[in-house]
Amino acid sequence: MNNMAKIYCADHEPRTNEAAPSVAVESVSAEKRLGLFEERPLPVDEIPPRVLRYRTRRDFLFFGAGALAALAGGGFLLPQDTLRRMGVRRSVDSPAKEWFLNRALRIDDDVAEALYSGNRRVPTYTKSQITPLNNNYNGATPDPGYISGWNLTIDGLDSGLSVSLDIRNLMTRFSVQDQITRLVCVEGWSAIAWWAGFRFDDLLRAYPPMSQAKWACVESSVNLDESGNPDPYSVSIDLATARHPQTLLAMHFNGQPLAVDHGAPLRLLVPVKLGLKNVKAITKITYVAEEPRDYWAERGYSRYDGI
Amino acid sequence: MSDSILPGREPNPTSTLLEEPGVLVAKKHHLLVRWSHWLNLPILLGLIVSGISIYWASPVYQHKPDSNTGNVDVAADIGIWMCSHVPGLHHYSSPPDWLYNHLSLGSGMLALALRLHWLCAYSLMLNGMVYLAGLVMGGGWRSLLPRRTDLFDAFKMLRYYLGLPFAKLTRLKWPHPRFNTKYNALQRAAYFSVPVAGFLSVTTGWAIHKPMQLHWLAALFGGYNAARVWHFWLMWLYILFVVPHVILVFADGWDTLRSMIVGWSTRVKRPEFTTHE
Repeated sequence: MNNMAKIYCADHEPRTNEAAPSVAVESVSAEKRLGLFEERPLPVDEIPPRVLRYRTRRDFLFFGAGALAALAGGGFLLPQDTLRRMGVRRSVDSPAKEWFLNRALRIDDDVAEALYSGNRRVPTYTKSQITPLNNNYNGATPDPGYISGWNLTIDGLDSGLSVSLDIRNLMTRFSVQDQITRLVCVEGWSAIAWWAGFRFDDLLRAYPPMSQAKWACVESSVNLDESGNPDPYSVSIDLATARHPQTLLAMHFNGQPLAVDHGAPLRLLVPVKLGLKNVKAITKITYVAEEPRDYWAERGYSRYDGI
Repeated sequence: MSDSILPGREPNPTSTLLEEPGVLVAKKHHLLVRWSHWLNLPILLGLIVSGISIYWASPVYQHKPDSNTGNVDVAADIGIWMCSHVPGLHHYSSPPDWLYNHLSLGSGMLALALRLHWLCAYSLMLNGMVYLAGLVMGGGWRSLLPRRTDLFDAFKMLRYYLGLPFAKLTRLKWPHPRFNTKYNALQRAAYFSVPVAGFLSVTTGWAIHKPMQLHWLAALFGGYNAARVWHFWLMWLYILFVVPHVILVFADGWDTLRSMIVGWSTRVKRPEFTTHE
């Protein structure tokens, strides 16, 4: 065993020449006896106290510096509200902090994008597995009055034209696909629901976007904030996700036409993204080359939101 | 453990009169193991406080809405109960948030909590790889592997700990069980389970973070909702581990604490030369 060999050598030879030969001789016999998983005795070294004191001081200084850095870094990253409760009055919000935290968010989004596969289907469920789904409008639920005059505007098309379609158009034009999938919210809850609608991909084929387009900006102009004032909602959807075979423009929920609660008459159902990308009561789709604005990304959440 | 070792000082015959005799030190922890060990502290703390803030947005443990408050969250109930029963908390402005405001970043800051959680989660994964590298490079992994005698030895240790307060009170001799290994069976069980728990936290984390692309992973833990429950309770495992871990390190003494900073211990076992001569 190495350590014993070393000590043995130290007894007989100058320390400067830590006698490699006899260590080697010993270790050959040691390895024969010890299995791969068998615990080895801890390697023992003889160190002059002067050197040991120096190393100890060095390691403790490093440790102390690291602890201080961790404390400062942690304090810097904590939200202002949290620090205020801890009794810190000074403002720690800075562009550097925002940049750093957004960087972490960006890395996570890039990982999500790398994980995405256009061929991978999300799990589907049976009707007996359906769970309740509440009205999850973040603000007030719009007054159903908008439905009668509703139509969908599509912009950024290859033809250079702007297209406007009403619900009857859409229902007769495209074949309907049923789908029982899980909707996962950024908050952590999820719901299994039965949707029916046509594929976003079919719409893209019927009305091809301009060639430079990489994104769809999906908007709802009827969205309201908590006090009931207009609060247009728009999300960015990359075209790769829009073309996914399970990305639907849904018109039915649990066998019934969509109710106002669930985004009548047409909503986005994109099970490979977080719930917040599933825009209700879509009024406009615009194809663009650059990543468009996103309601929740502007409020500190991630942009890609692939799950 | 102090009875199984001897003060590490071996007179060195080759030293000159001017030189102090060398100190025998046993190398206990590889540099990377030490770094990653301490880095776990801020990272896990960040994960726990941001994680509880995320939990607030959609509590795993809910009940039917309370008839008075409309509250559904068990953690909010605990806060309400505490504020009405614990002296000094009666005037707390928002009782349902008490628990969140004291154990997490706070309530109502999901976006911030998520950003910090991802930052700490990626850090934890990197740190875990550094730790594994240190275990492999230093050979320390062998000391953590469970072995056949562990169950019996763990009982011996449990018996020791359970009897210790009584022995101290009655001044009874109560020797620490002797082991020929770096760790005793209980330590080994703890130090082996924590990295395993870390691995499970990471995998359940991915299962609930990417439940569509990695749906097989979520299925492995019993589905998306079950994976959330796993992820939640794994957090408590670290908290349960840390309490006795810190108490026992201080009880064991300076050498043990120092060895996680400097890497070596002066509690050196005297080698049995006779068996090798």
